[in-house]
Amino acid sequence: MRYRFLLLALLVVALVVVPPFLGLGWQYTLVNALIAALFAAAFNLLMGQGGMLSFGHAAYYGLGAFGVLHVMQLIEYGDSRFPTVLLPLVGGLIGLVSGLLAGFFAARRSGVYFALVTLALAQLLYSLAPHWSGMFGGEAGLSSMRMPSLGLDFGSNLQVYYLTLAWTLVCISLLYAYTLTPFGRLTQALRDNEQRVRFMGYNAHATKVLVFGISAMFAGIAGGLTAIANETANYQIFNSHVSAQVVLHTFIGGSALFFGPIIGAAVITVFTFVVSGVTHSWMLYLGALFVLVMLFAPNGIGGVIQAHVQRRDSLPWRRLVAPYAVATGALVLVALGTVFIVQSLEIVFSEQYRAAVARTGQYADYSLFGMKWALFSPLTWLTPLLPLVAGLLLLRRTAARIRELWAGGGDPSACPPKVPGATLRSRA
Amino acid sequence: MRHALSALAIATGLIAPAIHAEPLKVAIIESLSGSQTSTGRMYSSAARYVLEQMNEQGGYNGEPIQIKDYDNGGNTSGAASQFRQAVADGAHVIIQGSSSAVAGQITEDVRKHNIRNKGNEIVYLNMGGEALELRGDKCHFHAFHLTTTAPMRVGPLVKVMAQEGDLGDRVYSINQAYSWGQDMEQAIKSYADTYDYEVVETVLHEVNRIQDFAPFVAQIQAAKPSSVITGNWSNDLLLLMKAVGDSGLDVTFGTTFLDQVGNVANAGKMALGHYVAHPGNAELNKDPQDAEDYKAFSGHYPVYVEPGTINGIRLFTEALRANDFKGGDIDVNRIALAMEQARLETDIGPVSIRREDHQAIMPVVVSRVEQGVKYPADGTDMGFKPIQVVSPEDAIYPVQESCRMRRPD
Repeated sequence: MRYRFLLLALLVVALVVVPPFLGLGWQYTLVNALIAALFAAAFNLLMGQGGMLSFGHAAYYGLGAFGVLHVMQLIEYGDSRFPTVLLPLVGGLIGLVSGLLAGFFAARRSGVYFALVTLALAQLLYSLAPHWSGMFGGEAGLSSMRMPSLGLDFGSNLQVYYLTLAWTLVCISLLYAYTLTPFGRLTQALRDNEQRVRFMGYNAHATKVLVFGISAMFAGIAGGLTAIANETANYQIFNSHVSAQVVLHTFIGGSALFFGPIIGAAVITVFTFVVSGVTHSWMLYLGALFVLVMLFAPNGIGGVIQAHVQRRDSLPWRRLVAPYAVATGALVLVALGTVFIVQSLEIVFSEQYRAAVARTGQYADYSLFGMKWALFSPLTWLTPLLPLVAGLLLLRRTAARIRELWAGGGDPSACPPKVPGATLRSRA
Repeated sequence: MRHALSALAIATGLIAPAIHAEPLKVAIIESLSGSQTSTGRMYSSAARYVLEQMNEQGGYNGEPIQIKDYDNGGNTSGAASQFRQAVADGAHVIIQGSSSAVAGQITEDVRKHNIRNKGNEIVYLNMGGEALELRGDKCHFHAFHLTTTAPMRVGPLVKVMAQEGDLGDRVYSINQAYSWGQDMEQAIKSYADTYDYEVVETVLHEVNRIQDFAPFVAQIQAAKPSSVITGNWSNDLLLLMKAVGDSGLDVTFGTTFLDQVGNVANAGKMALGHYVAHPGNAELNKDPQDAEDYKAFSGHYPVYVEPGTINGIRLFTEALRANDFKGGDIDVNRIALAMEQARLETDIGPVSIRREDHQAIMPVVVSRVEQGVKYPADGTDMGFKPIQVVSPEDAIYPVQESCRMRRPD
């Protein structure tokens, strides 16, 4: 327990100290990562803990953003004295009210039907927003400027970052505290067995509506923070891909663990920023990552961490070091081989390259990783295949070894939990 | 000691930079992944084509122009994030074209950035956002709109169709229900008196959701129009034209995006005889080498948004040439002021910038789908035959009152 606090404290210190030394692009990405983390945590309150999979959380996120923008416009053009620091509260309030309303209808059904109702409600907003220009600013959306407030001008990205950081930390702490309350336990009971909750004398529908409302409230706060960071919002914020993204973040991070979705959102946001700056194929890599996580670690990144934490006393750590190091190395080899092939294909199939071929009539050498490669030389294709195949073989062997160590390496009384090794078996 | 000295000499050699001029940095924030990729790539490649030509002639300010692509993923949040990255990379100029929504995000981001960062301003070149609002409410000094708008397309379109006898006196207006479609509808109504036609009915429909246009075609049929004017694009245009073709209704279409890649191939013979108003047509190039050069660069002849983008970026390079910073720091405000004065003579007429709202004053070409054209479209035997070039003075529309531009002191 003490380690966990130390780790969290270190993370918070890093989040406070590091950003001033980062470039604008990175600062903004961290703002986005924080917002995505809060959004995912809010979503997971409903999904991971309440067992209700919403496919339309973009609705409350977006409504929060638009609400905050309206207030921002009041501050900018009018004489409203609402402090900028408290703006996300507006988003939270709007999220709560709209969430309670939507939850009232959606929570009448569960499972797939619940997901469909939430999806429909979000799509309703998506098609309504571009036509209602008074409320949502039409297709172009609403725009405003952050005004100085309480001695801060909010002109720099860094100030926005600290505002977002503070709000995200407070909200995530609140969401965590929520899980410890009796009502938080009741939420989990809803997920495990709704019937039983009803027989215990609780009003299951009212509870579900309330959980939905709280989740939407934090989603609204996240939306409000986006509005502050971007100073604009348009109807695209209601797009189903925004709803899908938070589901993706949650699944990659692992919904079973409180911190899973937060990790997932942060990792994916930073991954997207870094990779999309390097290659146009970034979506392919993102998709591949998602598929791999679903196949080999269905409990997400958080699940893998949790498995290790749970077995920290029974695992033969010393004997695991070597296989883990080898597995990491093998993964790097596989990644390198894959990246080489994908990037080669991207270059060779690019318009520029094809135009050059049409112009000169020959397939020129292309440069990748700082070297020149001949398209039809076997060496060019052996270079990535070698590390790829070697890495895969190596992975297979080390996975077997890791499984062995996980199964019998420690205390025989420890129950075999779901571990990455166990899921790797499906490949062997 | 000697070693230390030589080490010092090497170190100073490494540290002391060769005196370099400030290179001009151009950020192309386009839709390079997602559903609008094909259009995004066209803007990017046309802009690169012109800028790299300038680099071949020695670059700018004594350095090659640095051009970098940023993928906005086709949405505004991606654009906002890539804009920050471009700022971090020190961009002076931002080029973007596909989607008015993204254009709205970027123009606002640029405006706010310039208010907060005096002395480090950025210029935004809007190559394709046609929404009137961008030059109205949202206009500002550092945004330049190097593309047409609805009135600039509809005016020439109805003018030429009337001259060719294909417009008739009963015009049907069918458009998509968002700002672009509304701008189009407004423009179609506004030219009714000038070109002596009656707008028999106006329809705004959902954007890219309708699979079957038959009910709309029945409505069109009942109104007995002589021609249909539409600003529809993508599926909304294709499916509408196909539904009309299937019904056997004989009307001429006046369109704004029929030249989008793939449309002619998809519509087949049904496309013949219909009109499009666009910013350029390669067949009008006096020197056929121009189109060949572009093909050598990109793999295809300039089509759709490319001729307009090439002209727009060429106008920008004129503004660059008007300012010689002599290898010193680049002053973006001076480039912006030069943009207002710049004038580009193209094969179809002059292109310049209107000082009041920074809208490009440019010629508009009206073409008709015919067989036996110089540059057939989509590998078919059909293509866009230029019928007439409408001069910049005839194509331009009045400045919107909503534009209140604050100029630098």
